Amino acid sequence: MADHEIKPSICPYCKKEFDSIDAMKQHVFKAHRGSDPPSPEGDIRLNINGNDYYLSVEPRWTLYDVIHDRLGLTGSKQFCDRGACGSCTVIMDGKAVLSCMILAIECDGKAIETVEGIAEKNHPLIESYVKHHAMQCGYCTPGFVTTSKALLDRNIHPTENEIKEELSGNLCRCGTYPQHTIAVLETAEKLRTGKADGAEKAQGDG
Amino acid sequence: MEPKKHKETDDMKNFIHYNAYSIEEAVMLLARYGKNACVISGGTDLLGKMKDRVLPTYPEALINIKTIPGLNAIEEKTGKLSIGALATLTQVAEHETVRSNCAALAQAAGRTASPHLRNMGTIAGNICQDIRCWYYRAPKNRFSCLRKGGGRCYAIKGDNRFHSIFGGSVKGGCVAVHPSDTAPALIALDADIITSKRTIKAEEFFNVGVLHTTTVLEDNEIVTAIEVPTQNSVTKSAFIKFALRKSIDFPIVNCAAAITRDGETVTAARICLNAVSVVPKRVKPAEDRLVGETINEKHVGEAGAAAVSDAEPLEKNAYMVELAKAIVKRTILACGDTEGG
Repeated sequence: MADHEIKPSICPYCKKEFDSIDAMKQHVFKAHRGSDPPSPEGDIRLNINGNDYYLSVEPRWTLYDVIHDRLGLTGSKQFCDRGACGSCTVIMDGKAVLSCMILAIECDGKAIETVEGIAEKNHPLIESYVKHHAMQCGYCTPGFVTTSKALLDRNIHPTENEIKEELSGNLCRCGTYPQHTIAVLETAEKLRTGKADGAEKAQGDG
Repeated sequence: MEPKKHKETDDMKNFIHYNAYSIEEAVMLLARYGKNACVISGGTDLLGKMKDRVLPTYPEALINIKTIPGLNAIEEKTGKLSIGALATLTQVAEHETVRSNCAALAQAAGRTASPHLRNMGTIAGNICQDIRCWYYRAPKNRFSCLRKGGGRCYAIKGDNRFHSIFGGSVKGGCVAVHPSDTAPALIALDADIITSKRTIKAEEFFNVGVLHTTTVLEDNEIVTAIEVPTQNSVTKSAFIKFALRKSIDFPIVNCAAAITRDGETVTAARICLNAVSVVPKRVKPAEDRLVGETINEKHVGEAGAAAVSDAEPLEKNAYMVELAKAIVKRTILACGDTEGG
């Protein structure tokens, strides 16, 4: 392993590699004088539901650990913890992803939306979910809502099959599946006609 | 404040985490740690293994390559389509040219796992993923199996309903199958895997000769791109997967085929099965049976039978032979039907 030994002369600001520490120091002095100090590995910024959080995280913490246990946003749920059930779904950069299978340290600078953010906006999904009772015990519901929201943000004219396909990564032990399709179809209809309370706002923010 | 955990076993141990900003930097870090570092892109396979403590040596360091700019691009070049290693499966499945020109690959990427996992998982991660054998994946290395340097393959005499029907590999054992959906599509389309060192044919990329590997990649080598040759207008490709559920599940058997026809006659065929053997299995007997013939029920039936002619099922997986036969048949028929590439 000795011949592969890493050179300690990597610029902490721009990651450029140098032949010697002195050359690196000179480069830092010239190129980065006056810049903000480089953030140590583990300091991240997350934009969650429009709020910036500056956090210091351990590499092994998943995004779920940080959102649920550290920031107290307990809407996303942990069930399988292996990326198979969809309960911990959050929306990251517009895509529904599983927060239990992402390391928080790798989410620096990402925009994340959780079910709390969807609730704050009073998104019409919530009304439809309540109206059609698309839940029983309710544990999987935040995962379904976030996944549906990501779909509706992208496509306001989803067909029944598109909704089924999009929600196919979310498991519900109570068997509420048919209700989700109905609720999402109705929400899409509301968003298109702009009838729902807060629909305009939800669209604007989406 | 330390995050609370519900189950103690789920705790990942700590490790050093690097963000690599260039391929060179990632390779340098890998070389530094040798076997004690893992590359992480989508992380959907690796984090599961780390949570279950499946790896015999827990990685000292993870090298994140998601921070390397430009590695997720899908570009059309002359005569080929270059797919960056970090392109997500969703990107591949939805890409216009992939869909029209390499239908099998788009279908395979679109049938992998669930929509969430496709948003996270990358194409390179999909071909580099580890096996899913339940003895291998049992938490905390409960079974010290052949792949972990242990004494025997537990699946040979144990519950082998999802294991190889074409025999084992490592030290005359290990009947775990390769679980990738995109791998057979890439082999059928004759893709090249570009690494930080060399170019490898997709067909020669998979290997279980050494403990703990599913590919021929060396310790300090990473996949940087996948190049799929542009298929000509008379070549049609298709992918069919059988799994217990339509979504989320790994394949029990899957198959990709690329069939070139002159009028009605098949002039060239590449057919690849996966999840039936230790590596994706290109079924040459089925290809040979088909070349020079027209695509009809009789010929595809014979091709299906030829594909599994050398099968040696284990105690509980003889059903997979019938599945493989039927899926080869259906995939060839799908190539005859589809309008697009």
